[in-house]
Amino acid sequence: MKKYLFLFIASLFLTSAAFAADSQIWDAMRIQNILEYGQDESLKLGPLFTMLQANYFAQAFLAVLVGVPAVFLLHYLVIGPKVFSHDGKKVYTFSIFNRIVHQIAAISFMVLVPTGFIMIFGANFGGGDFVRMMKDLHGLATISFAIVVIPMFLMWIKDMFLHLDDIKWLMIVGGYLSKTKRPVPAGKFNAGQKTWYWLATLGGMIMILTGASMYFLDFNIAMINSLTGLSQIDLLRVAAILHAVVGLAVVALFFVHIYMSVFVIKGAIHSIITGYKEEEEVKYLHSSWYKKLKKDGKL
Amino acid sequence: MSELAKMKFYCDDQRCIECNSCSVACAEAHELPTGVSRRKVITLNEGIFGKEFSTSVACMHCTDAPCEQVCPVDCFYIREDGIVLHDKEICIGCGYCLYACPFGAPQFPRDGAFGTKGAMDKCTMCAGGPEETNSSAERELYGQNRIAEGKVPMCAAMCSTKALLVGDEQEISTIYRKRVASRGKGVQSAPYGWSEEYSKQ
Amino acid sequence: MANTWGYGAMTNSLGDIQNAKAIIIFGANPAVNHPVGFGHFLKAKERNNAQIIVVDPRMTKTAAKADYFAQIRPGTDIPFMYGMLHIIFKNGWEDKNFINDRVYGLEDIRKEASKWTPEKVADVTGVSEELLMQITRVYAKSTPGTLIWAMGLTQHSIGSSNTRLAPILQLSLGNMGKEGGGTNILRGHDNVQGATDMCCLSHTLPGYYGLSVGSWKYFAKSWGVDYEWLAGRFKNKKMMGAKGFTLARWYAGVLAGKPGEDKIHNAGTNLKALFVMGTGITSIAQQAKVKEALDELELVVLVDPFVNEAAILTDKQDDVFILPAATQFESSGSVSATNRSAQWRYKVIEPMYESKPDHEILFELAKRMDFYEEYTKGMLMKENKKSYKFPEDATDEIARIIKTIGLTGWTHKRLKNHTDNWHMFDEVSLRGHGPMKGEYYGLPWPCWTETHGGSPILYNIDRSVKEGGMGFRNRFGLEHDGQNLLAGKGSAPKAGSNKDGYAEITAKNIESVLGIKLSASEKKKIGKNWKVDTSNIIAEKCMEAGIAPYGNAKARAKVWTFPDPIPIHREPIHSPRQDLAKKYPSYKDKANHYRVDTQYVSLQSKKNWSKEFPINLITGRLVSMNGAGLENRASKYLAALDPEMFCDIHPGLAATHGIRDGAMMWVHSPEGTKIKVKAKYSYSVKEDMVFLPFHYAGHFQGEDLSHKYPEGTKPYAVGESANTVTNYGYDIITQIPETKGGLCRIEKV
Repeated sequence: MKKYLFLFIASLFLTSAAFAADSQIWDAMRIQNILEYGQDESLKLGPLFTMLQANYFAQAFLAVLVGVPAVFLLHYLVIGPKVFSHDGKKVYTFSIFNRIVHQIAAISFMVLVPTGFIMIFGANFGGGDFVRMMKDLHGLATISFAIVVIPMFLMWIKDMFLHLDDIKWLMIVGGYLSKTKRPVPAGKFNAGQKTWYWLATLGGMIMILTGASMYFLDFNIAMINSLTGLSQIDLLRVAAILHAVVGLAVVALFFVHIYMSVFVIKGAIHSIITGYKEEEEVKYLHSSWYKKLKKDGKL
Repeated sequence: MSELAKMKFYCDDQRCIECNSCSVACAEAHELPTGVSRRKVITLNEGIFGKEFSTSVACMHCTDAPCEQVCPVDCFYIREDGIVLHDKEICIGCGYCLYACPFGAPQFPRDGAFGTKGAMDKCTMCAGGPEETNSSAERELYGQNRIAEGKVPMCAAMCSTKALLVGDEQEISTIYRKRVASRGKGVQSAPYGWSEEYSKQ
Repeated sequence: MANTWGYGAMTNSLGDIQNAKAIIIFGANPAVNHPVGFGHFLKAKERNNAQIIVVDPRMTKTAAKADYFAQIRPGTDIPFMYGMLHIIFKNGWEDKNFINDRVYGLEDIRKEASKWTPEKVADVTGVSEELLMQITRVYAKSTPGTLIWAMGLTQHSIGSSNTRLAPILQLSLGNMGKEGGGTNILRGHDNVQGATDMCCLSHTLPGYYGLSVGSWKYFAKSWGVDYEWLAGRFKNKKMMGAKGFTLARWYAGVLAGKPGEDKIHNAGTNLKALFVMGTGITSIAQQAKVKEALDELELVVLVDPFVNEAAILTDKQDDVFILPAATQFESSGSVSATNRSAQWRYKVIEPMYESKPDHEILFELAKRMDFYEEYTKGMLMKENKKSYKFPEDATDEIARIIKTIGLTGWTHKRLKNHTDNWHMFDEVSLRGHGPMKGEYYGLPWPCWTETHGGSPILYNIDRSVKEGGMGFRNRFGLEHDGQNLLAGKGSAPKAGSNKDGYAEITAKNIESVLGIKLSASEKKKIGKNWKVDTSNIIAEKCMEAGIAPYGNAKARAKVWTFPDPIPIHREPIHSPRQDLAKKYPSYKDKANHYRVDTQYVSLQSKKNWSKEFPINLITGRLVSMNGAGLENRASKYLAALDPEMFCDIHPGLAATHGIRDGAMMWVHSPEGTKIKVKAKYSYSVKEDMVFLPFHYAGHFQGEDLSHKYPEGTKPYAVGESANTVTNYGYDIITQIPETKGGLCRIEKV
């Protein structure tokens, strides 16, 4: 863990040293960049980014910001939450390590997502010092998220591979569209959680990398340039586009995650605080895991 | 200048000799930090006869300025005479304008630890910024406001060979065509970024 | 040049280059050294589709704009030019009438040219036969053609031959005295032409009067001082007429007597003190010797707006004085442009801090040395004044005395008037309009009288003398080897009373040449000849008659007083081609060359230099700097363009030495010195050559001397000086150092 922290901070320093080196954006490559901009034979990343950023990104985020909660509100009103007994036995689900890692990530997200939104709609906040501060906070929160993203990735990965249950789960949308309590096919993590896991970790890493490259802007990593065949400026454009697209998905599922844990499954949030899930909850929502636990006599 | 005048730059690469007068004059006039070059002379194929050429690049004050379109905080504004300016008090230094810019014009002074980017800085065509004209606040943030004084931007004024021209779009294009015609040989391609700078009409 | 046709100066003007149909450039890089002037070259391309030909060892920024580029081996301009002449004569492209009427001694040139076949030229210069023929054809066929040169042609042991053959090439093609023609030498710095005209030189009085007794007497009279008093200031009369040390080799005067040093002829003593005004003496060759000499001196005075790096270079601790001089913005006066035009420079601000303008420093010095009155008397004489006004009266004093190059018309009033009304002049022809009609901008000399409009194009016989026309100067006698040296029949400036060649005008011949009669009072007042005629009667009468006061003669291709009567090729002292060094050896060693015994062939043949030092070394300028770079490196933004001393090296050559781009490398010189510089990959140099800019100082042979700068004076950029490794080698006539053709060895650090 300490080693991680150390490595991360060291790499930060290294990157900031690297960008003091020859700039590909403002020096030798500049004419090449100008020539290729919008040319047929080029990737047209500049115009693509301009078009997307000017016309779609902010709108898409607005749609997520408004649309997703609206759907949930509808769901809550029509179908309502699932309530499980909190008086029954509990199943120990999350170790203390799991919980700490999750909590750090959760706090990071609580900062990253709103600050990200503020930047996207920066014009509505008048730009300037406030938005700039949000931008810096966004960067700071990235550091804590970056520290936990790999431990998080590793600690749950063995439970996160695709299973037959997941397809069944998806067919019935996890049973969330019906008011009846029926056992839903799922292991320790259901297909929804698995999707969120992959997006939050792999997608999160993409967010970190693309974000960092935009933050450091003029870094010099010849390897990436030669590996991707992209010029530095195009790399940045790809980063900006990816950051927006992946960010959109992450944010949407982040909202789902919150809705599930806080609103739909009453009290589910306690499991990541105490480490214990309600037995009834496990029985219905993670029926395959429940069976397995039973068989192993772990209950 | 007529009401319809749109101010443009044009660098004639047949005349540019990489003397750097423009970039040094710009830096001196606006007292820029050394890491920022609002205008830069770039030479390609240096030392190879028949292939080497130089040109001076800065913000080209595009007609449909992409920077203005992508800015998340809307800090850009385009004057009636076509000069593209921005408000440094609003800018958050996100870098989006750089990704959108065909010319690599936006510059980011590095201040603070880990190279935090400050507010973007770019060529103002010597027209200052949104602050009160010729105020000390304007001078501090954007440098001289020569346009307000009826003067030519510093870079073009100092260009040794008059490769770098600035002025009404129509006028500049006439001079350019005249030069091409009088050189009378070879095929002259349109200068860099011509189509971007002069919109796509 | 002066020895070819009378004056050693740019014959036309920068603006006039726009009239050229072809421009051939030898050893000059105007795109870097004269960026604004180079605009005229580019306009010539636009106006006339002028063909630009660059002959240079390096693919310069100028070559980047050229139509033809011949990359010659350093020091082989003469073979290249003879190669051109060979082809010209063979095809009969020369201007036969022009040669017949206006050139003497071209037969010998024809003979020499016939030896330089294209194959031979290709072997010596490294330029292919095809390219030579192509260039010659283009240049000979596109007339008028102008020929440009600068230090790349002059800084050789055969520099004076180079600068004679270039005019001969122009004479052969009849390109002289024409709009769009001429030999246009580009002066490297602000007011170099003015400094030369005032003869800030060791071998002549102002205005190129020489050091003869007659000249001294003329000046004594003109300054209002006693000749004997003047003579008394010298050790003896012989030393009064002896050429002094030059900037290139002053240190020899200090070091003489030490083992291995050249002998000097300085009336039995070594130099003890050095007074430097406004020259970066670290920008001349043999810097290690310069340092040694500085250490030896008893007194060093450095007058400069910035800290002259001589003070940093020397280990001398005491008796080194740095005096702050005012800059050009803090002083006023006339300055001469490269084309012999003068402009008035107005003071912009008062001198800052304790700095003083140069003249004040000199006047103070004169006061302390007790000759202030004699020193300033000349300024009072014209109007018999009680006190002078500087620099106006100094300018008028110059106009009063200097007849040789025709500065009579350069009164301060006229010069100010021109500068104030510069917008009324045409940039190409320099002609004035409106109130300035009839005058050329800056009154390019010769400006014979106070009403003469100046002469923008030297030796132009298509104009009357009044309008700036003239033939070649009658400077070398009336005949040689039985041949008449005066211009041919009918070849005289327009509208003159004499249509043929004539001798320079003297009191004796004025009546016969001009066909006039002088009155008795005129006869009493008139000076002995046009050069010393302070009454100005000769000039005035000549203008009326349309006669050039200096005569109308032929240019000479043969200078019979020089070691080489016609220019011949001699390999550089340090030549990479041993076989050719044997075939074209340097001069015999020359004794008492500006007081120093100078080695030529003895050093050249001492050993096979190229074996140990196989790489050509050339030096030159960067666009962002000039001279020793004192003031440029003290500018934040200029220093940022080239923050470090570097060496242009071909990637191929670098690879054989394992030197990476941006890595440090050593450059060793045959002088036993070395410098540590950053390698900069460049295709502008060939694989057998490196290029060094000469603007840096502050490091010496790998040692950083930064700590020696007085507090707050360290420039933003410091580095090794290229001149630490430039080689021994000096021109046979002018003693200019051979910095554009030396050898070196390189090594990875």
